[in-house]
Amino acid sequence: MGDDAAFDKKKSHHAKRAGRKAEKKKNKTKLDQSNLSARQRNPKAFAIQNAVRAEKQFRRREDVIAKKQHIPQVDKTPLEPPPIVVAVVGPPRVGKTTVINNLIKSFIKTNVTNTNGPITIVTSKKRRITLIECNNDVNSMIDIAKCADLVLLLCDASFGFEMEIFEFLNICQVHGMPKIMGVLTHLDMIKNAKTLKTTKKTLKHRFWTEVYSGAKLFYLSGIVHGEYLRNEIKNLARFISVMKFRPLSWRMTHSYVLADRLEDITSQELIRKDAKVSRDVVLYGYVRGVPLMKESAVHIAGVGDMKINELSYLPDPCPLPSSGKKRHLMERERQIYAPFSGVGGIVYDKDAVYIELKGSHSHKKEDEETNEKKVLLKNVVETKETVDEQMQESGFKLFSGGAVIYPNMVKDDEYLQHNSKTNNGSESESDSDDANDSDNDSGIDQSEKDTKSSKLPWDNNSGSEAEDNEGGEDNEGKNSENDEDSDNENDDSEEESEEDEDFSKKWREKLSEKATEAYLDRQKTSKNIMKLVYGEFEIGNKTKEQKMESSDESDEEEIGGLFKKVTDTQKKKHKEKERLDLDECSFFYSSSKPNLRDWTAESNKQLLINSFVTGKRSADEDASELLKLDDASDGDDEELYGDFEDLETGEKHFAEKEKEENPSTEETGSKRKADPTKSEILAKKLKLKAKFDSEYDNPDDHRIKGDHSYYENLKAEALKQSELNKSVFENLDNGLRVEVEGFRPGLYVRMMFKNMPAEFVTNFDSSYPILIGSLNMAEQNIGFVSCKVKKHRWYKKILKTNDPIIISLGWRRFQTLPIYSKIEDDLKCRYLKYTPEHVTCNMHFYGPVTPQNTGFLALQTVNNNPNEIQELGFRIAATGSVNEINKSTQIVKKLKLIGTPLKIYKKTAFIKDMFTSTLEVAKFEGARIKTVSGIRGQIKKALNKPEGAFRATFEDKILMSDIIFCRTWFKVDVTKFYAPVVNLLLPLGSKNAWQGMKTKGQLKRERNIRSDANTDSMYTEIQREPKVFKPLVIPKALQKGLPYKFKPKQKVTTLSGTNPKDKFRGRIAVIKNPHEQKVANVMKMLKTNYEKKQEAQKQATAERLKAHRKQKDAEEWRKLKRQKELKKKICRQISKMGNKRKPQM
Amino acid sequence: MPAVVENDVLIYKGSNFFRQRLLLSTLSGRAIKIEEIRSTHDDPGLREYEVNLIRLLDKVTNGTRVELSETGTSVYYQPGILIGGQVNHSCCPQRGIGYYLEVLLALGPFCKEPLNAVLQGVTHSDLDVSVDKIKSAALPILLKFILVDDGLELKVVRRGAPPLGGGEVVFKCPVRRHLRPLQWTKWGLVKRIRGVVYALRVSPTMANRVVESAKGVMLKFLPDVYINTDQCRGSNAGKSPGFGISLVAETNDKTFYCAEAKSVDGGKGEITLPEDLGRECAQRLLDEVYRGGAVDSAFQWLLALWMALGQKDVSECIIGPLSDYTITFLQHLKEFFGVMFKLEVQRQEEDEDSDDEQVQAAQKIKMTCVGIGYVNISKRTL
Repeated sequence: MGDDAAFDKKKSHHAKRAGRKAEKKKNKTKLDQSNLSARQRNPKAFAIQNAVRAEKQFRRREDVIAKKQHIPQVDKTPLEPPPIVVAVVGPPRVGKTTVINNLIKSFIKTNVTNTNGPITIVTSKKRRITLIECNNDVNSMIDIAKCADLVLLLCDASFGFEMEIFEFLNICQVHGMPKIMGVLTHLDMIKNAKTLKTTKKTLKHRFWTEVYSGAKLFYLSGIVHGEYLRNEIKNLARFISVMKFRPLSWRMTHSYVLADRLEDITSQELIRKDAKVSRDVVLYGYVRGVPLMKESAVHIAGVGDMKINELSYLPDPCPLPSSGKKRHLMERERQIYAPFSGVGGIVYDKDAVYIELKGSHSHKKEDEETNEKKVLLKNVVETKETVDEQMQESGFKLFSGGAVIYPNMVKDDEYLQHNSKTNNGSESESDSDDANDSDNDSGIDQSEKDTKSSKLPWDNNSGSEAEDNEGGEDNEGKNSENDEDSDNENDDSEEESEEDEDFSKKWREKLSEKATEAYLDRQKTSKNIMKLVYGEFEIGNKTKEQKMESSDESDEEEIGGLFKKVTDTQKKKHKEKERLDLDECSFFYSSSKPNLRDWTAESNKQLLINSFVTGKRSADEDASELLKLDDASDGDDEELYGDFEDLETGEKHFAEKEKEENPSTEETGSKRKADPTKSEILAKKLKLKAKFDSEYDNPDDHRIKGDHSYYENLKAEALKQSELNKSVFENLDNGLRVEVEGFRPGLYVRMMFKNMPAEFVTNFDSSYPILIGSLNMAEQNIGFVSCKVKKHRWYKKILKTNDPIIISLGWRRFQTLPIYSKIEDDLKCRYLKYTPEHVTCNMHFYGPVTPQNTGFLALQTVNNNPNEIQELGFRIAATGSVNEINKSTQIVKKLKLIGTPLKIYKKTAFIKDMFTSTLEVAKFEGARIKTVSGIRGQIKKALNKPEGAFRATFEDKILMSDIIFCRTWFKVDVTKFYAPVVNLLLPLGSKNAWQGMKTKGQLKRERNIRSDANTDSMYTEIQREPKVFKPLVIPKALQKGLPYKFKPKQKVTTLSGTNPKDKFRGRIAVIKNPHEQKVANVMKMLKTNYEKKQEAQKQATAERLKAHRKQKDAEEWRKLKRQKELKKKICRQISKMGNKRKPQM
Repeated sequence: MPAVVENDVLIYKGSNFFRQRLLLSTLSGRAIKIEEIRSTHDDPGLREYEVNLIRLLDKVTNGTRVELSETGTSVYYQPGILIGGQVNHSCCPQRGIGYYLEVLLALGPFCKEPLNAVLQGVTHSDLDVSVDKIKSAALPILLKFILVDDGLELKVVRRGAPPLGGGEVVFKCPVRRHLRPLQWTKWGLVKRIRGVVYALRVSPTMANRVVESAKGVMLKFLPDVYINTDQCRGSNAGKSPGFGISLVAETNDKTFYCAEAKSVDGGKGEITLPEDLGRECAQRLLDEVYRGGAVDSAFQWLLALWMALGQKDVSECIIGPLSDYTITFLQHLKEFFGVMFKLEVQRQEEDEDSDDEQVQAAQKIKMTCVGIGYVNISKRTL
């Protein structure tokens, strides 16, 4: 890969610095200084004039930058990625197959007769694609949307977009949007140039609103000889081969395989006996997404959950070309692999392999092309042999022929071949390895016998490693043994002196001694630590041979006829038995307490002293060493730091003294560093220079930069992680790597499934994709899923609670019974009978546990019945995402309990009819109740009789006519119904007609059942009698106190005893004759005249009176004034007299 | 001994590693069956503390199914969903609180609601890690995986010595959707030593004597030694007498080694000298330091668990020699999650030539694994 990158690197452009052109350019750019404004001449001086504007500009720029930032994700694309899945989707008869054929032809220059299933081709030096056609079935559309990386959405331009296209786009949106390219076909059907133009435009804009504006839409303008125009196809191919992809969250957490080959390896005998016997099926395909773990459960879409019985990788049937320095693909390297469609000459049938030979005369021409094909064919023939082998229930050596052809593959294949080899040959090798190992692993030699026959993959590695380091290890061993010995000797001497002590104590000491030994061993042993831990597991595609064990047991040597020599396996068993019921303890030395080393002893102390900050450090950490390194790099600056005086403390430091001290410290501790070499110094200097440059040099832009260090750090972290992910297992043996890392994406794997339903094989149709998706931890479990959901706005009906719907969630499609609900403000889920029209609501169903935020879509039917589709129009009923998983649900529905008073005291009342038993009442003690009129109360206690009645208190006296409510919530349970859609098991013609549970309405309609009307709900005329009120009676005592106005009046009694109003009843109206009228008129006039006069008189009197009163007032005023003055005079006199008298007093 | 898988149920034998198996079963959601629990013993079947553990697991989960056979020698356990939240549990005094607390610690980040557990029982026990050790050495490990500490807390409200206990701790743990991958290959040098000495219902001088002797040993290595004494009085001192010490060594890369020692249980007729106790604890701490690695040896399994449960990225850590418990735990991890660690023995640097034999440190093991991409499926999103 490395030299590849070097090869691809283009020579960067250098602008001319000298010569005629450079001169010309210089003249062009040079401006006449005299005409320039001051600002133009000296832009720096005018850099920031307006602080506010500058701030605004800065903020805007930062906003733009921040908007572009995304949370950095760890790049998980493998070094050799799997082929890109290019799905061709569209309604029937738009030309999907033609597009695929043409694309294949343009990529690998061969004609393919029939396309069926996934077709993998090599398109360029670094890219392979898998082309797959989607048939007209919702199930397939869903599965394709889940695995496609790129979708070619075909559309008949003469017809316009059809419903399938919109459905598919919606499916894509839910399951993670792949890249989508629209392709318009049948453009030649539109004859008029203008309509063609407008059609193109409208279709383009409609497409943009669905995908994103600017989405690529291709036009295939017409068909010539049954093929699209070569130029247009070439263009399309070019776009496909440069397409870049975004990671999708579901696929970045799950691995999946799009199976491109299927084999049934059930023994023919079993099938003959019972045609319906469950089969052993082998599926092949590239691992995509993330590494596929061996033990993980998988879901095969359209079949159900399965457990992979055997998983192994095979050499790539369609490998990328070896990385040589070539620009183009060699003709030989343009490979195609499509077992289902019989390309490459092979047709796999149920139990035979057909080889296509292209007619009887095909051998005659011997040009280059046929040569190439011959190579291909040869390839095929060789594989055929292995297929035969495979028939005899063999492993996965199927494609070893392929490996022979591509020698670069052999390296990868090595491990496989190792495994396929049976115990011959490698025996001696592994023996020696094992011997090595057993030296190293003390106490774990028990597994040796088992592993002898089959070589463990890590033996390759660590065996040699062990040899390499044998010497050093021995030293270590000796060293610690010495320590141990000294310890033991001490112990021994002690023991000897106290020999007469009781036995038990000695025994205990022995025990601890033993433990000590074991403990010390532990700290230095286990060279092959992997084997110590994982020795008992099956590693790398092989099953442990059980037979060996049994033979071991029979081999037990008998010594003296009575005692049997304890074999390793027995020892192991014994050990296991001992461990079986021990107390669990997570300490390092679990139950046995060894004698620890005495760390205070000087020899032991040395082992430890450097683990403390006070100890000696390694060269790259030691401050003094680093300083020295700096000094050395500075060269002549050395004296600068030679000796100096710390002004604060007054201490004086001398360089010479330091130098004296250094050797002394080196004596005590260990010397860990080497002198810095020249190259080191140079590297360091360069680094510093780069740092300085990046900080200070900012030649083109003098503007202030924001601080993006946080984001940069995140990005760097993600980058580091992705590099680590790629590099950490690079050198590992492939078999072990697969164990540790899983089958990484890009590997071609073979998966064996046992107990597959026979229908899967017998009804196999290669036009349906087989999508095998792995399930992460806990995803194979079933629980209650709570999600938010919204009815699709194009779906005509609203959805009803407990009507079965088909949900596509994760890899699965299944039918279940949902309950819709609404989350109230107190986070209570309140039952809804129907989905609301335009808002999201909550939905609970019983189904597979799926991580939160996973999208799903719901359909009411997946049946492809054209009438039904016609009726429905748009089939996607709802979309949503998962919120929460639980093992129980809490959905409630409002419930009002109604009761009536039995007896009423002041504020206490006995209520009946609300409950049926005392127990029920007891449960509701203290509950709030309320009358219709709004009087609130509380349930107190049950009554003995009648059953279910209770005493309650209210805030006021209630009436006998009141109805009493108790408002409670009723829990609604979710029905445990979960049925995967098993459309792949259906017979060939009716794969698109899966029918699950039907709704009640559907059943009723089918069977023509009409429900009886509820008589309670029928309409009857309401007849209300007018209310008769009793007359108001005011008590006598109250009447007395009332004011007269409110007192009830006595009835007026007349002599006749009739109502006074009736007085006029018998009277007759009078009509005047003309004379009488005249008289009346005159009288009237006289009266008016008189009244007028009277009025005038009255007015005159009033005026007179007014004048008179005025006069009177004036007189009065004058009189008063006079009197006042008189009073004043008198008062003055009096006061004068008073004053005169005062001094005398 | 590898498990037998039958109908996706893992079948084990024997009572050992009961806790590991239940814990991993709860996390993985796979049902297990444990057979032949002490079937040959005089006292067959599950012990009280094991039943108590099942009770605790039932409290923190929803939908757990446990079936015990009549003799109690076989258990079927089908885990539910982790809910967490407020949990009150009185632990069995046969084992320390640590036995239960370690389980809660491992489960804590994957609950639906942040865990807030109050555990009562024996805080310091011989068989289990003490609460002090968990607080000082295990919580920092979790912190490395969740990065932001929002409410990770362990409070020792009351201490209780065996056999009667009477201690109480409050454990709070935040929830996470997933753990981050961790690279932890450097652990630095020990920079300070701290410790706590507690004395419950014994003379306070005991504590001071322990401090003195422990400090005496540690000061030979590092000057920065500080040991607290915790004299508990009244109800805070639990129900049984006892005293003990736990020492923590902190390195400059936030690795904590912890060692502890406690007096012999009251009523056994043996006595422990405080000086011996202090010295023993110091020796153990030194042993722990010698073993080295990024985590304390008692919590290797926790590290392994959280590494395995990380995102689908590579985690690598270097730890000291593997304990038996960790080895079994790794085997169990493989069985439950299918995750296998790459284990390498770290080579000593070759450049040290002259005094090589002298500074031979304990064997270090580099654990590398790819996380299984475990996500907290019980957490609610809104």
